[in-house]
Amino acid sequence: MEYKELIGSRRSIRFFQSWRPVEREKVQIMLEAARIASCAVNASFLRAIVVFRDDLDRATLDALKTPVSGLNIELAPVHIYCFADMGAYKGAQARLKQLVDVGALNATHGWSHKFVDEFVWPNILKPLADNAGSAQVAAAAACDAGVAICQAMLAGVDEGLGVCLSAFVYEPIRKVLDPPKEWMPLFVLLAGYPAESPEAGGQRPRPPLEQLYFEGKYGNPFKADPKVTEQLRAKKMFQAPAPLPWRKEEIKALARMFGLPE
Amino acid sequence: MKPLADYESVQTWFRGLTEQSGVDPLADPSRLELLAEFCSLVELDPDQLVTACLLQKEGAETKISIKGRRRMADKIAEFQASDVSAGSRDRARRGNTIRSFLIHNGILLQSGIQA
Repeated sequence: MEYKELIGSRRSIRFFQSWRPVEREKVQIMLEAARIASCAVNASFLRAIVVFRDDLDRATLDALKTPVSGLNIELAPVHIYCFADMGAYKGAQARLKQLVDVGALNATHGWSHKFVDEFVWPNILKPLADNAGSAQVAAAAACDAGVAICQAMLAGVDEGLGVCLSAFVYEPIRKVLDPPKEWMPLFVLLAGYPAESPEAGGQRPRPPLEQLYFEGKYGNPFKADPKVTEQLRAKKMFQAPAPLPWRKEEIKALARMFGLPE
Repeated sequence: MKPLADYESVQTWFRGLTEQSGVDPLADPSRLELLAEFCSLVELDPDQLVTACLLQKEGAETKISIKGRRRMADKIAEFQASDVSAGSRDRARRGNTIRSFLIHNGILLQSGIQA
């Protein structure tokens, strides 16, 4: 799918074809997309544990459910539990120098092995590595992990899957998946073939550009150029807004199919 | 007990069905019949069904009671299973009617796939 259309086509899918397994290779494609995402100081913060729902026994699956996401957990054949590795700064010294070696960080921008060894590592990264539980590290880790998760989501959509990021309750997950203590729980990325139409009732409402983004300083909105807006509509990044006229009928049909309340 | 349609929670349910779900609540009278049957089972009126799922403390925001909701979910499951002569789809409909009533009254309930 063309990239802008891909961005415009992604929806949080909440009805999956629960009976249709997701091919393992598609899960790998999502993980590979996450793996090559942009990350600060070449420290890949995202960690994930893939769970194929049908490999779980009933009691374990039930333990993973939350009041809000229980149905999604049941419907989605693939759950990718996402964490941020708060210890990812460890080893960043060597990984940064690797970026120097491969020509990503260059003398043009002031980078050298000596700069990494004598300034960046002892003054910036080692203190962060030593304070892995700090809010500063958590914010950086969550941001980088979010970028990686986003790439996984988009790769999944490009593979014809539906995806949905959902919160999870840590304690039952910890018991079942046994993640390392330094992994900070983030979200579960659910994936499966959509049972609802890919439009899922239309593009969701979002605040206008000017309300979110500014130019020069806060309070001076970044003004949208209507010509650009039109181009994005032509490229299908902007799509028909929700609710599409048939959405309620679609939900009624899905409710009947899965035996869910109206 | 006064007529079910006179209860505020039933009116809220009907509004939710109409406005959110696009369903005409009056098209199927069995909805109210099932609600009446469930009310009789748990010996509560419709408004009390909602209240039983809430945690209300003076001076604090009302919360959904985890225990209350769990008890209600168990009762609904019991109610659903109780009609042994019905097929699985009809049994699911029994439970989902009550879940729908509570959901439109702000009580989040997820029962999973019932079909």
